[in-house]
Amino acid sequence: MELVERLKKKFEVIGFKKQRKDLFIVETTKKDLIPMLFYLKEYEGFRTLTLISYVDWIEEGKFQLSYILWNSRTKDNIIVEFRLDREKPDFETIYRMWPQAEAYEREIHEMFGVNFEGNPTQHEELILEDWDDIPPMRRDFDTLKYSMERFGERESKSGINIRKEISEQYDEWRRK
Amino acid sequence: MGLKEVLKPLGAWRQIARRPHTILVPTIKREAAERYRGFHVNDLEKCIGCGTCAAVCPNEAIDMVKVEGFEAKKGDSGYRPRIDYGRCCWCALCVDSCPTTSLKMTNEYIWIRDVPEDFVYIPGYDIKGFEDKEKGYRKDKEHGLTNYNRVPMRELDPGERVKSFAEVVIGYTEEEARKEADRCVGCGLCIAGCPDRMHIPDYIRAIASGEYERSVNIMYENNPFAELCGKVCTRRCESYCSIGHEGDPVAIRWLKRFATERFSDLKEVIKVRKQEPKDKSVGIIGAGPGGLTAAYYLSLKGYKVTVYEAMPEVGGMTMAGIPKYRFPFPSLKKQVDFILSHGADLKLNYYVDPEKFRELMKRHDAIYLGVGLMKPWNLGVPGEEHPNVIYAIDFLRKVNFNEPVEIGKEVVVIGGGDVAMDAARVSRRMGARVTIAYRRRKIDMPADHEEIEGAEEEGVEIWEKIIPLRVEDAPEGKVKLVYGKAKMVDQGPGKRPKPVLIEGEEYEMVVDRIIVAIGQQADLSFLPEEIEEKLEVERGRIKVNERQMTSIPGLFAGGDVANRVADAISAIADGLRAVKGIELYLKGEL
Amino acid sequence: MSKEEVRLFIGPQHPGITGNMSIELLLKGDTITWAKTHIGYLHRAFEKLMERRIFIKSFPLVCRICVPEPDTNEENFARGLEELAGIEIPERAKWIRTLVLELSRLQMLIMWYGGIAGSMGLSTPVQWGIGDRDYILDLFEELTGARIYHIYIMPGGVRKDLPDGFEEKVLRAMDMIEKKLPEYDEIIMENAVVQKRLKGLAKIPKGWVEEMGITGPVARACGFPFDVRKDSPYEAYDQLDFDVITEEGCDVWSMLLVRRREIDLSIKLIRQIIDKMPKGEFLTRLPNVLYWKIPSGETYVKSESTRGEFGYYMVTDGSDKPRRVHVKGPSFIHGITLAERLLVGQNIADVAPILVALQICPPEMER
Repeated sequence: MELVERLKKKFEVIGFKKQRKDLFIVETTKKDLIPMLFYLKEYEGFRTLTLISYVDWIEEGKFQLSYILWNSRTKDNIIVEFRLDREKPDFETIYRMWPQAEAYEREIHEMFGVNFEGNPTQHEELILEDWDDIPPMRRDFDTLKYSMERFGERESKSGINIRKEISEQYDEWRRK
Repeated sequence: MGLKEVLKPLGAWRQIARRPHTILVPTIKREAAERYRGFHVNDLEKCIGCGTCAAVCPNEAIDMVKVEGFEAKKGDSGYRPRIDYGRCCWCALCVDSCPTTSLKMTNEYIWIRDVPEDFVYIPGYDIKGFEDKEKGYRKDKEHGLTNYNRVPMRELDPGERVKSFAEVVIGYTEEEARKEADRCVGCGLCIAGCPDRMHIPDYIRAIASGEYERSVNIMYENNPFAELCGKVCTRRCESYCSIGHEGDPVAIRWLKRFATERFSDLKEVIKVRKQEPKDKSVGIIGAGPGGLTAAYYLSLKGYKVTVYEAMPEVGGMTMAGIPKYRFPFPSLKKQVDFILSHGADLKLNYYVDPEKFRELMKRHDAIYLGVGLMKPWNLGVPGEEHPNVIYAIDFLRKVNFNEPVEIGKEVVVIGGGDVAMDAARVSRRMGARVTIAYRRRKIDMPADHEEIEGAEEEGVEIWEKIIPLRVEDAPEGKVKLVYGKAKMVDQGPGKRPKPVLIEGEEYEMVVDRIIVAIGQQADLSFLPEEIEEKLEVERGRIKVNERQMTSIPGLFAGGDVANRVADAISAIADGLRAVKGIELYLKGEL
Repeated sequence: MSKEEVRLFIGPQHPGITGNMSIELLLKGDTITWAKTHIGYLHRAFEKLMERRIFIKSFPLVCRICVPEPDTNEENFARGLEELAGIEIPERAKWIRTLVLELSRLQMLIMWYGGIAGSMGLSTPVQWGIGDRDYILDLFEELTGARIYHIYIMPGGVRKDLPDGFEEKVLRAMDMIEKKLPEYDEIIMENAVVQKRLKGLAKIPKGWVEEMGITGPVARACGFPFDVRKDSPYEAYDQLDFDVITEEGCDVWSMLLVRRREIDLSIKLIRQIIDKMPKGEFLTRLPNVLYWKIPSGETYVKSESTRGEFGYYMVTDGSDKPRRVHVKGPSFIHGITLAERLLVGQNIADVAPILVALQICPPEMER
């Protein structure tokens, strides 16, 4: 029996796709995610957690968390993903299943603002230091605006740095 | 593990006797590899300032700046890339995407200055000493980021074409059109080439992304004859295309044709906002493309518009002059119907004479003259009044209006413009053997090169350097053309050579018809005297200001009668400009 | 932290670390009782930048994610986009890519081979490694136009064909390197000090490998034949003849052995590639890159770098920019999860060799 059939029997499968011959993509719900990961690990041989990733679907008001697992015997990858409410991004940790999840979740917490219930170190800073804005990997965080506000235009000794003016001139010409 | 493992590493001492890896910089200068991505150079003459390099630069290291002391040529923005080496990451995407291949990289990588600002400069303009380096990263035209090859347009087979007046060009399929439209880099240089300043990159991009409705709407912002232009435009824009410098320009005309032809009912597609009705009225004399353009935009602005046309059909020269294999009648009808559906009145078979003109001046608050050039130039040789000598525009009009016209078996067309090509190809379709006689060389012909090629494919012969001397009667209802040969005399750089008759030689040919297609002139006999006196005319054309107003307030003119370009798109442009002028005039602001 | 313990930071600048990161240690005497990895010194927001850039503009960017071995990034990025956009690349492009990847692996391994000696204070091979690596960088310069950031493996194929006579130059360089290798061995592998220090150092429990997601030479040193080149072959690897190298020791010495044998393997593979390289086209024409839109989809592509499995998780949404590109560097797991556990109980002097053996590359942890 195909993997998807087996999964469908036990869990809610919203979407399934065979992206490549060795890559499956399964979308499930928040409720079924951790049981599904557990099942995949213990019964299907997907013993390795390769990556936890995150996507911001800001238009839909959702976050997506993607868990990429690897099966060392069949050499297959599977991406298990689900959508999380953007307003209340609370989820649970899986670091007891895979120790590296702790660091991944720490990064997601810092860059994305998802709260992983039960992760002991998620509040520690990983990359950023004294960050005082919204989590920077969210799509509504504007890097250019932030950098302009904090640091401004670079000053130039000879005043040659008139980028803005020049490009405005050129844009005007193009409009003509 | 023993003594061996302790002693073995001492073998490293062997290195003492060896030559070092390193080279002594700067005593020895190491030449970088052939493809090395080092400092840029730019051929300023070749560069056209299209800004593609700036658009593709991932680090915004390239700014387009105005270069002083440098004259912009045709199709050149006058801007040149300035590179900030504090931002440049040497990826050479700019080189790979340069449409003219003017921007290159040298294999020079050492350049030392203590002022950081010295590393912001315009390659080719600010001389840095590595301009003549021969090695460095170059664009390979086949594998660069520019697609130089046009999607070929399918046409009817020449043998098939001459059998009927079916449209020669078949048109792009959706896939072909999107592929062709995708070649456009969006530099916008073509806009400067279009008399009507159409938003070419915008509608091409809309076609490439499959938004055909949006594309047509963009076209209709300043051209209600988009489909006409899609078929028969003289496409000056394509000669400005940045990709055209090294490859085939984007097929702007065919793409316009593709998008407009998709929609049979324009009313459903074009979103227009009609303004409040106003109590001023405008009269438009001549229902050609210029006049109807003015009528369209004026009626959208709420003015009362009446169009007067002498012929039994609207369209002016596009109806009477352009053969149906290039511009089928249903297509014209579709566009005209849409234009008139916005409330403009049409009066056909209305020949304006001086009396009527006076009346119109009283009836309307402003008048737009778009009467075109309806009077053909004469050959100016003896015997020209022979009944077998006919004029191309009369001939084409009769054919287009399905009036009987007899041309016999053998025809010579005199002239080298688009009208000459039209007359020749129409004659071929009527079964005649056709020769085109032109007084200069084929490469000097003002006709579109595609038209010349098309005519030749259909079996039209082209004779170069022919100067007609006189026309004589010939037996069996034929006519004899006596002509001499010309030699081309150089007129100095930048001027085209002049044909001069070689004296003492005379040749003759006997044909059924001689079709004269050497140009037309304005016929302003319908103007009353008092108007004609005040109207300024310059070398055969009515003089207008930048708002298309003539020397008489309230009288506007445009199209062939006022401009020297004499093609449909400039007539449309004139009409559009006149709308703005008329609006200002009627508000009392001009 | 008890009174007997000392808190010590190694890094962010330390010669034993292959980039800017720091490891916070608690020491009891000279034994480590606790370790914590701190990163963030190199964060350049690549992933965020890519979300704001059209696809082609990310192409010169991705190679900067790992400085010494940029081609893995370029290849992964290109392959991911090709998969999502449905672009087939020519056969020759695949082979040239494989050649570039192997050359890149080889230069990295040679540098690493010198580096592991350097981490123990044996600085002679470090210079040799840097020097011999330059023979390969010369090849890269000729092929791609740059020595470090090649910006060469482009979506659709590769940017330029092999220059004339390039194959012979590659083979000559291989011969030269092969001739040099015994001298390295003499001073590193056959060195009593190196053997004494590395054998049995930092034994990784076998159970950690699958559970923790350890990949690459570290996993292979523990007896697990995990090699993406073999497991899910990409580019032309399915047409190459090679065996996955494994060692059973689980310690730093085994990692050294695996990598030493991989140098030989790489040279062998490069010779095979040159031998089998097909003729033909090397680049498919892309759509106009300024307006290139890729239909929505998601994928995970991976390849084998010298450090382990390098992956790109890519999500597109039908626009001209990616919705998300997540770079999975092997060092994230090796440098944080594994190193923090592995260092406990080790001697302070062995931190540098352990970190170099895990081959931690901070830029790919922070992206």
